[in-house]
Amino acid sequence: MKRVLLLMTTTSYRAQAFLEAAESLELEVVIGSDREQALSFAKPSGNLTLDFSAPEISALRAAEFASAHPLDAVVAADDDGVVLAAHIARALGLRHNALEAVAAARSKRLFRDRLAAAGLPGPRYFELGLDAYPVEAAANAPYPCVLKPLSLSASRGVIRADDEASFLAAFRRIAALLERVEAPGAAERRGILVEEYLPGSEVALEGILTNGAMRTLALFDKPDPLEGPYFEETIYITPSRFPLPVREAIVEQTAAAVRALGLEHGPIHAEMRVSEQGVRMLEIAPRSIGGLCSRALRFADGVSLESLILRHALGENVSLLERESRASGVMMMPIRRGGTLRSVTGLDRALRVPGIDDIRMTIPVGQRVIPLPEGARYLGFLFAHGDRPSEVEESLRRAHAQIAIEIDSTDAGLPCGEREA
Amino acid sequence: MVAITESARDKVLEILKDGDRHGVALRVAITGRGRGPGGFGYELELIEEGEKAPDDLEIDAGGFKLIVDAMSVPKLEGAVVDYVDDPMDSGFKIENPNSFFEDPVAVRVQQILDDQINPAVADHGGFVMLLDVKDDTAYIQLGGGCQGCGMANVTLKQGVEVMIQRAVPEIKHVVDSTDHASGTNPYYQPAKGGGASPLA
Repeated sequence: MKRVLLLMTTTSYRAQAFLEAAESLELEVVIGSDREQALSFAKPSGNLTLDFSAPEISALRAAEFASAHPLDAVVAADDDGVVLAAHIARALGLRHNALEAVAAARSKRLFRDRLAAAGLPGPRYFELGLDAYPVEAAANAPYPCVLKPLSLSASRGVIRADDEASFLAAFRRIAALLERVEAPGAAERRGILVEEYLPGSEVALEGILTNGAMRTLALFDKPDPLEGPYFEETIYITPSRFPLPVREAIVEQTAAAVRALGLEHGPIHAEMRVSEQGVRMLEIAPRSIGGLCSRALRFADGVSLESLILRHALGENVSLLERESRASGVMMMPIRRGGTLRSVTGLDRALRVPGIDDIRMTIPVGQRVIPLPEGARYLGFLFAHGDRPSEVEESLRRAHAQIAIEIDSTDAGLPCGEREA
Repeated sequence: MVAITESARDKVLEILKDGDRHGVALRVAITGRGRGPGGFGYELELIEEGEKAPDDLEIDAGGFKLIVDAMSVPKLEGAVVDYVDDPMDSGFKIENPNSFFEDPVAVRVQQILDDQINPAVADHGGFVMLLDVKDDTAYIQLGGGCQGCGMANVTLKQGVEVMIQRAVPEIKHVVDSTDHASGTNPYYQPAKGGGASPLA
């Protein structure tokens, strides 16, 4: 039985999907996590506690573990595990992306540097330290622009600024956010990347790399406009409705960016903007799509994305696993305002909307919900299928309209920015 | 017969003394299926001796009466009321050799929950309840800090399932019937992009 090390922090949304995939493939799983599991003593060979902020030391620990329990592959479920996965793979001699390539993809600044060095079109950008005097930067920024914290992901802390006043406000808000949330180990990544705003429609490409060759698994449209000031992703629909030449350009640009970064093996999730000027990359992450969104993807014979990734990591040829022919999509339920989630009603009605497959609420009633740019959690997910992308989008919108979310925003003590989206 | 440990007796006497209460009894009853030992739910309360039902069993606990609900007597035969004074988990506990289940396989599954699994997941504010055993499948429900926890599946697959199947080889499948979306206080809560545990 083959053994896979799955890296996931305790805040991962992906545990269930990866564990179910591993079980269906009859794999031995080792969970590498940042906290000791409640019942780790039941199966010491199935759990490994690792410090994700100290990947060199953790790779040594994983190598020691592997000497007693040989590992056939290492897979990171989320952003925070990709650098550690590369370290461990290198220590164990497993086929994986090079550490330098993963580090470049993980860093918003290095990502831009690599693409620019390769001659790929992109926005003007510069890095701004949190201890910098922002007034001068605000005076020289290309407007409109977007301020992005270097150390956060999933649109968290990303704010558009249209002038100097909004630039300074965004800077202060991001600085306050980073003060609250950054782990000590993230100190070297403290700072903000300022990028020229890229107009256009946003799309996402889910792909898998095999020895440097990229295969597109799914191309998602994001039909809701993402124009700021915050960038809350909502609907993903595949296949894309862009004409073939645009889709080809998206794939070409992504492949070129992958080469520029040096990524060669494993899943990628790429996001880009499409406008009259062409395709402009936003980011490429050396991992698969986040949250519960992978549930919108099914491949031949119902194979999940996680199953495909595990099989690929173990050296199987997955090139014949095509995504199902029907259109599918997911909606990450938007968080309109902050406060305490008091009730969620209408889920039954939403589930009865034709095309809707499932609805998953991921913040329990009674807990705090926080909108972007500060928020770090998804409220919930809706999943749909249909014959055409337009039907899927319609199903998601109709179902979402059936759901009533009651949020009590009267809580005292919410940090600045959490009251209203 | 239901027994009471010295520490439990001392704690009850302390409560009665502090409250200057007299003629008060400790009543124990089984409320049905629950997350307590043996798969039962328990009720433990201080009552006025006059509130005792005619058929209830009355035991002299030494300084106060221990009243056992009449309907619960058969299922509490041999049980012990204890008090644990632990900074992490203090309170009255009931050890009960009886089981809610009659199926011997289910009894053994419940036993492993009582003896090993629930004491461990209690550190995360959670518990695991056996709902039923049918053929080779145990149906369980996670609660407390386990309900809605981002790592619930890890606990289930790498812990609960392993321990149950090791102790009760007749069980081939463990099915989680929990409505995780309704968990109000999950121990680990997912966040975008993963990220270090806020508890780390």
